[in-house]
Amino acid sequence: MSKTTRREFLKIGLAAAGGALAASGLEIPLFGGNTSSLQNQITNLNKHISTVTGFLTLSIPEQQLLEPVVETIIPSDSTGPGAKEAGVIYFIDRQLASDYGQSGNMFMDAPHIPPNIPASSTTPPTPLTVKPSSAWAFLQNKETGAYLPAGGMGNGAAIPYLGASPTYTAGGTNYTVKYGITASPRVGSGINLQYPVNMREFWRISLAALQAYSNKYYSGNFQSLSSANQLQVIKDLWSNAPKTKTNPSPPADDLTGFSNIQASDFAYELTFMTWAGFTMDPIYGGNKDMVGWDYTGFNGVNFGNFYGEGLSQKTLMVASSPTKLKPASLAQYQQQATGGT
Amino acid sequence: MSTVIQENPVDVVCLGVGFMSGVVATELALAGNSVVGITKGPYWDYVNDYSTTKYDEWGVGLGRKYDSPLPLQSTTIRNNINQFALPVRRYTMPIQYHALGHGVGGAAQHYGGGMGRFGPWAYEMASRTASAYGSGFLASINPQDDTHDWPLTYAEYEPYYVEWEKAHGICGNYNGSPTNSPSDINYPWMSRNYPLPPHPMTPLGQLFQSTVQGMTAPNGQKYNPFPTVSALSSQPYTNQYGVTVNPCVYEGYCAGLCDYACETGAKANAAYRTIPAAINSGNFTLVTNAYIFRLELSPSGNQVVAAHYYDAQGNDHRQPGKVFFNGMWGYNMIRLMLLSGLGTPYVYNSGAGTGSGVVGRGLTNGYTPYRGTSVSGTVNIGGNSYPAGNGSGGGVSVFDLMDDNFSHSSISPPFIGGGLFGAGGYLGGGPGNITFAGGVSAPNTLNPNGAMGSAFKATQQNKYLPTKQSVGATPFAPDLPTFMNYIDLDPHYTDAYGDPVSRLTYDWTPNTYNGATYLVNQIKAILTQMGATNVTVGATVAPYSAHNDWWGHHLRGGLRIGTDPNAGTATAWAALSGYNQLYYNSNTAGVNYFAAGEITNTTGNNATAGTHAAGPQSYRAAEGIKKYLANVATSGVNYLAS
Repeated sequence: MSKTTRREFLKIGLAAAGGALAASGLEIPLFGGNTSSLQNQITNLNKHISTVTGFLTLSIPEQQLLEPVVETIIPSDSTGPGAKEAGVIYFIDRQLASDYGQSGNMFMDAPHIPPNIPASSTTPPTPLTVKPSSAWAFLQNKETGAYLPAGGMGNGAAIPYLGASPTYTAGGTNYTVKYGITASPRVGSGINLQYPVNMREFWRISLAALQAYSNKYYSGNFQSLSSANQLQVIKDLWSNAPKTKTNPSPPADDLTGFSNIQASDFAYELTFMTWAGFTMDPIYGGNKDMVGWDYTGFNGVNFGNFYGEGLSQKTLMVASSPTKLKPASLAQYQQQATGGT
Repeated sequence: MSTVIQENPVDVVCLGVGFMSGVVATELALAGNSVVGITKGPYWDYVNDYSTTKYDEWGVGLGRKYDSPLPLQSTTIRNNINQFALPVRRYTMPIQYHALGHGVGGAAQHYGGGMGRFGPWAYEMASRTASAYGSGFLASINPQDDTHDWPLTYAEYEPYYVEWEKAHGICGNYNGSPTNSPSDINYPWMSRNYPLPPHPMTPLGQLFQSTVQGMTAPNGQKYNPFPTVSALSSQPYTNQYGVTVNPCVYEGYCAGLCDYACETGAKANAAYRTIPAAINSGNFTLVTNAYIFRLELSPSGNQVVAAHYYDAQGNDHRQPGKVFFNGMWGYNMIRLMLLSGLGTPYVYNSGAGTGSGVVGRGLTNGYTPYRGTSVSGTVNIGGNSYPAGNGSGGGVSVFDLMDDNFSHSSISPPFIGGGLFGAGGYLGGGPGNITFAGGVSAPNTLNPNGAMGSAFKATQQNKYLPTKQSVGATPFAPDLPTFMNYIDLDPHYTDAYGDPVSRLTYDWTPNTYNGATYLVNQIKAILTQMGATNVTVGATVAPYSAHNDWWGHHLRGGLRIGTDPNAGTATAWAALSGYNQLYYNSNTAGVNYFAAGEITNTTGNNATAGTHAAGPQSYRAAEGIKKYLANVATSGVNYLAS
């Protein structure tokens, strides 16, 4: 790209970015204090280009809820920047708008049987139903009223119940094994998420349920609560408190009871995706200006000489004391590798 | 799909193109035979596919973008037959960091390069245990024990180990055998050293080495430390097939908890070691993006006559051949045989605690339970734990706590085997931005707010810049075959084409846990001698107190080599009994028994891949196929019946 073309491109780009800013209503210091020269504008734009903001999928109520949630998980404090400065919410928004949200690499064949059914249960497991929100209503079969599970390649045949927990004897030792009718995977395990909706829908339902729960038990929207209560609400999710606090049991589509979604599964996603937005490469929209990497001491793709430090991996890998490197991003690496501008 | 597309007949059809098929295809093509290799993924090119995009923990490490897509196929897991088996829905991050491979090289695109030999004991585990401790000893440890010897001894496999190590450019310096001679009945002696020197040693590795050299092992002799064996080339190298190999550049996006593809080809893999030679021979045809779904049998049912696969458009291709070598990943190999009606399916008789049939029998797991008895301490050696180094170099190991290298006769609770213990792998073997407690942990006594809030955040500050490090282990003795762990076809879930996926019925066996109580105390003595502070042994974890919710973790077994037709399916040549044409091997199936309970120390250095023993077995299979083509296929003389 010639310099002239680049300047023209920047002029167009700046105008477009300004428009987007006005629409999003968020204050982002795009150009810093000095806009007197084009070079400064270029420098500042390059600095912020990966985090020009705006949302691809999160609705305004979801944005308003999720911002304080991620800031509760990684607060900005005296030790350094947090989820707010890292732009974690943009990372999550872009993930929800792409493969992660579409469950693009998930196996979605039916039936969707919930995990953690105890052996003491006397009834065979039945497939989960999660009433999709209006965004997914098109998946409803108008004739039967049934909701089609995402993917839905399986036959949903009846599940046999094969018996109670076994006892094994070896060398005079009796092993009585507490198995359930289904496995009891840890939260976050790949056999734990057995929902018949994709991850965008999982978040849509769960975010609404989180807000409803906050209103019902903490007397206000999540964003209006004290910091201590905000943290407590997410801890409640981790312990599945919304389910136990609701009495009598909620109907299947009662969002305050998280429907059939385990609140702890959502707490895991919230916490995991927040840390991912803080520490993954800025190319995904979070970790703005690599503040997360600066905080943890991560190097990104600076292998010791990215900024001319003159250090080598072969030395750094056998060192007995640490050397902090200024992090570099994947985009910077590619720019340098291709020798491009 | 009404029309079947006929492909030209060839001598050898390789199903899957990973480590095992790489050897067989290359050996047979160079011997002048026509060979076809079929893989469901692409032929990855490290220069174009990895060199500028792989430094991406989200996409490659956690998102597994170079691995097998789950919408195509998955598997289901249950812990015993009383449960409904749940399908694996996603590559959860990073609790289950091992995925199926996809394309040429297979799962070797994403290992840390751990590699090494089994010892002699591993091949004769059942008979040596019975001889040393009594015939009922194994059964007194594991309910429904189904352990058997390999058909051949270590000495018979040793020449194949040498060929395997030459082909893949393995780095190390002998194996810790006190004399390195065949008279070592326990330690894996070597007739020839590894072709490449080890990677540079870390300060912790040096401390571990000098410490254990002065210590007496449980067998009454000094420990014999050796550099941890690595399949990541330490120098430029050319193997016996004329394939040139680039050395490791130590950029550190290698292992960690997520395992990365290699951008220089230093990480041993069929795509960069064997397949290029097969292609150069002019006798090899590579078919990519082809999903094998059936083996076609002869009318009498005793011969495989063709493999069927879908191309990317869903067309059914028919590939005939004289010999079929199944080098697919473990349970995919079993699944294909069950779908095709090949061999006798294993059937578990829970009432009797036994089973019959062989295809799917003897599933074991080379990876440790996620919860076990642990020991740890702190040493005042800092370093850089951001990416710097590689996934399997830098450390030092000992065999002296493994196999039957010490007496197990008066240990309680009883166990057999032990573990390869080592320390000092590169701190920066791979990025680990979200690795605390298996991803993100729930609030617990240690962290009342879990991975949330200012107090936890502070634990992450400068976490890549440690001024001291934790050392320790959660040791386990090997998982052994039992009648209750196996693979079959799932009755509910199907792949994208409507065929049943595989179902794993698996849980860790008591032997894995029992060894920990003894081993932690041996390791505690080493840590103390190393000058570690705060050396602490954790609470004992009892068998069956944590259940498997993982998949794909170094699973082994399911189609065992053996001479006893009631226990193993294949002959010592790796031919399926009764089906002389079909040779199988994969990084799980070839390994019907294993020796090393793998120990992960806090540097994240653990031995990987079932290639430890399947690799040599692939050379054995190649030799058997050559004999078959020379004798059976031409003159009808059956050399391989037993």
